[in-house]
Amino acid sequence: MTAGFLLSVGAVAAVAATAAGRRLPRIWLSLVSLACAAALAASVRVLAGAGEWEWRSTYALAGQPVHLRLDALSALFLALLSFIGCSGAVFSREYWSDEHKPDSAPRGRVAWISMLICMALVLTVSNGLHFLIAWELFAVCGYFLLTLDRGNGDARAAGWLYLTCSHAGTLALFAFFSLLAVHTGSWDLGPMRDRPELAPLFWLALFGFGVKAGLFPLHVWLPSAHANAPSHVSALMSGVAIKMGVYGVLRFSGWLPTPQAAGWVLVALGASGALFGIVFGFVQNDLKRLLAYCSVENVGIIFVGLGGALIALRHGEAPWGILLLAGALLHVWNHGAFKSLLFLGSGSLMHATGTRELSRMGGLWRRMPWSTVLFALGAVAVAGLPPLNGFVSEWLVYLGLFQAAATRTVAAWAAVPAAIALATAGAVALAAFAKASSVAFLGAPRSDAAHNAHECGPLMRGPMLAIAALCILLAFLPSLLWPALMRAASDWNPALTAVALPAAMPALALIQATLAAIAAVAVLLLVSRATKTGVRRGPTWDCGFAAPTPRIQYTGGSFSGIVEGWFGWLLQPQRFASDPRGTLPTSSVRVARIPETVLERIVGPVAAFVTGASAIARRLQHGRLQAYLLYILAGVFLVGITVFLGVFL
Amino acid sequence: MIIALDFVLRLALWIALAPLLPGIINKVKAWVAGRRGPPVLQLYFDLARLWRKGVVLSDLASPAFLAASAVGWVAIAAATTLLPVGPAGASLSFQGDFILLIYCLALARFCTVWAAMETGSAFEGMGSAREVSYAVLAEATLIAAVLALCVQTRSLSLPGMLAPATGAGAILLAGGLFIVLLAENCRVPFDDPNTHLELTMIHEVMVLDHSGPPLAVILHGASMKLLLFALLLTQAVLPTGHLAPAWAGVAIGAGVLAVTVGVGLVESLLARFAFRRVPLLLTMAFLLCLFALLIAWKGGAA
Repeated sequence: MTAGFLLSVGAVAAVAATAAGRRLPRIWLSLVSLACAAALAASVRVLAGAGEWEWRSTYALAGQPVHLRLDALSALFLALLSFIGCSGAVFSREYWSDEHKPDSAPRGRVAWISMLICMALVLTVSNGLHFLIAWELFAVCGYFLLTLDRGNGDARAAGWLYLTCSHAGTLALFAFFSLLAVHTGSWDLGPMRDRPELAPLFWLALFGFGVKAGLFPLHVWLPSAHANAPSHVSALMSGVAIKMGVYGVLRFSGWLPTPQAAGWVLVALGASGALFGIVFGFVQNDLKRLLAYCSVENVGIIFVGLGGALIALRHGEAPWGILLLAGALLHVWNHGAFKSLLFLGSGSLMHATGTRELSRMGGLWRRMPWSTVLFALGAVAVAGLPPLNGFVSEWLVYLGLFQAAATRTVAAWAAVPAAIALATAGAVALAAFAKASSVAFLGAPRSDAAHNAHECGPLMRGPMLAIAALCILLAFLPSLLWPALMRAASDWNPALTAVALPAAMPALALIQATLAAIAAVAVLLLVSRATKTGVRRGPTWDCGFAAPTPRIQYTGGSFSGIVEGWFGWLLQPQRFASDPRGTLPTSSVRVARIPETVLERIVGPVAAFVTGASAIARRLQHGRLQAYLLYILAGVFLVGITVFLGVFL
Repeated sequence: MIIALDFVLRLALWIALAPLLPGIINKVKAWVAGRRGPPVLQLYFDLARLWRKGVVLSDLASPAFLAASAVGWVAIAAATTLLPVGPAGASLSFQGDFILLIYCLALARFCTVWAAMETGSAFEGMGSAREVSYAVLAEATLIAAVLALCVQTRSLSLPGMLAPATGAGAILLAGGLFIVLLAENCRVPFDDPNTHLELTMIHEVMVLDHSGPPLAVILHGASMKLLLFALLLTQAVLPTGHLAPAWAGVAIGAGVLAVTVGVGLVESLLARFAFRRVPLLLTMAFLLCLFALLIAWKGGAA
């Protein structure tokens, strides 16, 4: 079966699913699964070397002939999209079921499959105008999914912010595609690397796609959107939707020439974004906000890889460039996998406890063993620890950076700071996920909700298990994936010659597998030894503290207190306190809050200024006819004077 | 077969020799204080005793409590197989092995923190928070040191990085790595392995609720980590690449001994720092390694 046939099957199934979504949930699920399976099969075919698929039609949409194409680079993203799209759909059948959400569940199903279709279109269309249409529809579908729970004011506010930021990005993309069409004389897209005058357009694309990708200073919409969306939607947004921004930057930095500084700017933004993103994440006490900021970090890592590849192209030193690009591409998959797993896990937590606050959880492993194991697996993967998939892609990026540093050329000026920033970010990521998993799942329950939690059902557990299996597979099979990565890299820019699989990679996979096996044996040995010598249970020793209560456990806020102090200049934590007063104090409150600094300190004031200026300008519009006549008179007078001066001077 | 045997023998040697180091440190401390002190082999006796003892588990601990100790130990053992020892080389070496080494140590840290948080104790939470926070600076320092070695030697695997002479930045590197060694292995001035004031500790407080075999595993893992850092420091600084294998071995052994005695001396002569000064010291270590990197880059031999 050819890729074209598979994609058509997928498209038909997906369109049918939009029709079935409202009333026939089971048929909807089967159709979505079929569509995703077909799209996955098509992308795997293309990635496995079946050649790129292209389809030109004479049928014109909005005046432009339809032109679709699926090459290895878009197939890489389409594979991720179909896997996560299908898992999330299954998850939503239990998580956002008709019984619990009778009014929003049908809407959610239609919006879900529409969003998948629009993202698939973004990945396949090869016409600037159609790209813009698909992009806009994708953004709007995201808005409807995000605000499924209309009654929730936070979700509405987050949706509003998302829509505003998304459109600010789209505005840049409008400029980008129109200017591109003006310069090339056609809306058709494709490689145009031999036209150096197009290079400055890269900055427009970087802004437009960077907003969607959550690149550091442009990430302002991301934390609240990912935190307030339903969890399966967060998984899709974080695992896949922000990757559309990454895809945009990749695609157009590969097809168009790039300015001299592009690689440097990407590495700088990526490295600082990785560090700052995860620092913001570490200090959050809302589990989903923590995960959202961590996406900012991972997008930073991807951009470091991409920027490094661009620098390598400039310097003709492809060997380390391709390592960096392969690391970035692999990280797209890896982050898509483990972050969706974590967001689905957080959905399972919210389902069980009804809260996102880490300080209200605790001790959940007893009630939710499956969720605990799966979340912990995701946490180890996202912290980049061996033997899971996060480590493999970070290892590739590090290796590329170290090779660049060892050249001692000018490229080392980018590689050395980036490597140090990534190492620091890695250590903070470990801290952040040690905090998230341990405060939520370990210790004693901190609230009644946590005490009465329940494990999620099979429809929520199944997709999480599938994604966890993907995390393990991606860790142990890099040799199988390497040719696919090389195909995507050469579709990105053929100047970057593919290299053979670095000999170290199979060795690494083998060592990771051995490490996992030996660790399992060691666990068994220790457990058997402990049972042999006798295990006694008792209250936590805690230096003999006599009356421990769950409330004196270390909280998430105290866990990250030290790092919060170091980065106070960036985080600007706010504290509100009303201390107990008088002989018989009644109540006292102490609230600590970490603002989203970029949004509240930079974007907010600017927006307030614009709103203020507009309010002043609006006074000109008041509906009094006399004044309008006066405006016209003044206008005519002004034009008259201009003409007069023009003629006689 | 030979390779597997070689691998197992090396690992056995690591496992057998590592607990010597804390004994030597304690002997040095006793000597400075004018005491007789515990025997050098004291940790071996302790480990044997703990291995035979029963386990008291917290009511709150999950099955992962025991698993975390075991996985943490395996992670440190895996890191030791990646570190080359002078002319004998490493069991495993490949491009980018140093990254795996650093991340194996990170995995061990994650496991210790996980086990500490299992107990729901505020003290252990405090220790975990300190451990992961100071590790941020320590890891940045370590990567800067490895970068310095990489730029100096243009090599991407540990045997190539550690063999030749390290050039003019060696003293800076030695200073930086020594500070990281003290921080990562919880020695004075960062932590006090002898204290019983739980509020002031990092690592020791995290294992308060471990007992019996799991505690033995953790103590042994900590001693292997100390040996690992001592070997790394010695080889990063000593130019052993030009020596005959036997002499190189002797030089490295002497270096490790010197580092261990140094740790003991620091422990005897210095008080533990206040916690707010810990980041300053670690930042200094980072800067030392950063300057070593700059020297390797700009001033080093081509």
